[in-house]
Amino acid sequence: MTTPIKIAARSEDGEIAVLSLSGEVDVANAGQVRDAALKLVAGGTKHLVVDLGSTEYMDSTGLGTLVGLHKRLRESGGEVTIAGAQPRVKRLFDITGLTQVFRLYEDVSAALKEVRG
Amino acid sequence: MRTKASDRIEIRIPRRAEFVRIARSAALAVASQMDFTYDIIKDVELVIGEACANAVEHVADESCDEILVRFSLGDDHLTMEVIDRGQGFDPEGVGKSAGEADWDEPGGLGLLVIRQLMDEVTIECDPSTGTCVRMVKRKAG
Repeated sequence: MTTPIKIAARSEDGEIAVLSLSGEVDVANAGQVRDAALKLVAGGTKHLVVDLGSTEYMDSTGLGTLVGLHKRLRESGGEVTIAGAQPRVKRLFDITGLTQVFRLYEDVSAALKEVRG
Repeated sequence: MRTKASDRIEIRIPRRAEFVRIARSAALAVASQMDFTYDIIKDVELVIGEACANAVEHVADESCDEILVRFSLGDDHLTMEVIDRGQGFDPEGVGKSAGEADWDEPGGLGLLVIRQLMDEVTIECDPSTGTCVRMVKRKAG
C-alpha cells in the first residue's frame, strides 16, 4: 500500500533536467522523489525543473524534500525551479513562505526558458 | 456548541507512513459531512495528513506504534485530535513564522501549514501520555 505517484525524469541538456511528479507527494513517497532527483544530480544536473502540473496533492514532507534539494543545488550554483503548480499546491508554497525561496513558473516551457537564460 | 458522544469518530492507524493516507481519507469523509466548502474539506485532509506525518517522522520512541485520530463534529465546528504515545517534539515556537527557521526545524513546515489553515491549534506534549495535536475548524458565518 503506497501513495500513488508517477515520477518521470528527463535530462534536457547539459546541466538541466526536468522531474515530473504525477499523483500525490506525501510522507510515504517523498523519499522516492528525493532518490530520483539525487540520481539526476549525480549525473551532473545543476538546474532541476520540478514539474508539478499533474501533482494533485503535496504535503510538507514533499515541500521539505524540495527545500533540501534546492539547498544542495545552490551549493553548486544551481537551483530547483517549480513549474505548473496547481492552485492547491501553489497555495502550500504561499502559506509557508516558500515563494521567497523558489522561482515558480506557469509551466515547464516557461521554466526552461528562464533557466536557459 | 456541545458535541454529542455519538458525533465522535475515532480511527487508529499503525504509525507508519503508508497508513497516513487512510487517515486523510477519513478526514475527507468527515469534513464532507460538515457543510464545509471544497477548499476547507481539502484543508482538513491536509492538516490531518500533516499531523499524522509528524507523528510518523518525529517520534523517536519505537514502542509508539499507533496513532489515534479523533474527529468531534460540533454544530458549527470540527475538532480534530491526532494523538500518539511518543514524546514528540518541542512545539514551542515551531511552525509559527513562515520563515527559514521553520523550514529546517523537525516538523516545522507541517506545523506551519496546520497553524495557517486551522482556526485553533494546541499541542500538548507529555512524556507520560504522549503528544496530542488538537485542531479546530469553524464553519464560516
